[in-house]
Formats: sequence, C-alpha cells, structure tokens
Amino acid sequence: MISTILNQYRATASVVAVLAVIILLELLGFRSAIYPSLLPAFEWIKYSTPIGVIGTTYGSIYATVEALHLISMATIGGLVLATDLRLLNVVLRDTPSETIVEGTYKVFKVALVVAVLTGIFCAAGVADKVYYMPVFWIKMGVLAAGSVFMIFFKQPLLSGVPHSEISPWSIRLLAVTSILIWFTVAATGRWIGFS
Amino acid sequence: MSKLKNMGDKELAAVTAASVILFAVVSHWVLEAISTVELLELAYGSFKLFNNPLVF
Repeated sequence: MISTILNQYRATASVVAVLAVIILLELLGFRSAIYPSLLPAFEWIKYSTPIGVIGTTYGSIYATVEALHLISMATIGGLVLATDLRLLNVVLRDTPSETIVEGTYKVFKVALVVAVLTGIFCAAGVADKVYYMPVFWIKMGVLAAGSVFMIFFKQPLLSGVPHSEISPWSIRLLAVTSILIWFTVAATGRWIGFS
Repeated sequence: MSKLKNMGDKELAAVTAASVILFAVVSHWVLEAISTVELLELAYGSFKLFNNPLVF
C-alpha cells in the first residue's frame, strides 16, 4: 500500500524527504556548526583569487560587472512578471500562457546563469563583508530555493501539459510564489548594497 | 477533494514545494516588518507614520 503510493507520488515523496532532511539538519544545529568554518573560504576568495583581487583593485571592472548583474536581474524580474502575471490572467491575455511560459523560460535560463556568474564576482570583491550579513545568506537561500523551484517544479509542470489540465489554484499558487521569490531576491540584493 | 484526487505527482510536488517556499518567504517579510516596527518604537517611543513630531 505505502510502496504503491510512494511509486505513484515519487516526486512529492522526494520533496517531503528533502524538507525532512533540511529540518533535521537545522534541529541538529548543522548550519551554525559549519558557519564559522566558511570564513576562511570567504577570505580566500577575496584576497587570493583573481576575481577577488580584480574586484577590490579595479573599480571600473567591478562597476561594469555589477551593471551586468543588475541588467540580468532586471531581465529575470521582467520575465517573471510577464510569465506569472499572464498565469494570473492579468496581462497578455490574448496570447496563450503555454506560449509565454515556453518563450520566457529560454531567456530566463541565460539570465539566471549571467546573474549567478556576475553575482559571484560581485560577492568576491566584498566577501569578508557579506559573510557577516544575514541578508546575504537570506538572498542565497531564496535564490537557491527559487532556482530549484523554477527548474525542477514549476517549468516541468507548466511545459508538460496544457494549462487547462492543471488546477487553476495550483497555477495561481505557483505564480504568486514565483513573484514573491524573485521580489525577495531583488530586495535582499539591494539590501546588501545598503548594509 | 475530487480535484486533489486528480492531481498528478508533478502537480502535487510543485504545489508542496511552492507552499513551503511561500510560507518561508512570507514569514521572513512579516518578521522583518515586526522588527522594523520595534526599531521605530525604540527610536521614537511609538510607531506612528503620520503626525509624528519627531519625523519631518
């Protein structure tokens, strides 16, 4: 009986298992145990790697890469708003949501890769500063959760079947969650700049 | 209930992940709002956005 349900709902069981592992690790104090050991890695990135040295030495290069980071984040924001507001039936109603979901995801993947690569460069230049910022870790957590959510859950569901076959409330939930995720990533990113 | 019964594995997994992430993100912003109000009360004695004599 249980094995039948687990076979039928393998993906859902995996999500529950991953959540259980995360909760267990948190209860065991894993995060606070490894946090101090990360400081040498952050200092090494800033002082001993080419990206850290370039980021701290050449302001013009840092500003250029940061501009690319902001442009890629703005692209992600625009794509997310276009896709999710269409899923919520707010904008672009004359275009099928399947078409928009497919079209925007191709650009989203590129923008996400650019945002992550330029973000690593930007963080390397101030690695010993961001290490102590809770808001930096919140951004990383939401970015990781958001990327996993988009790539492994939202997109496979929305590109796999016609949207009329999915519950409207599921689509609304995915759209609202997606908007909030990327809003939080953008807001915490700017918060890092003002901390 | 019948809708939930018809929900496939992919949809249920996506809905579960979305619910957990949504709860976490909303909790984060609610806690930030509470700590901001506490900070304002600490600074000005009371949380008053308008007609606060200390804010111009």
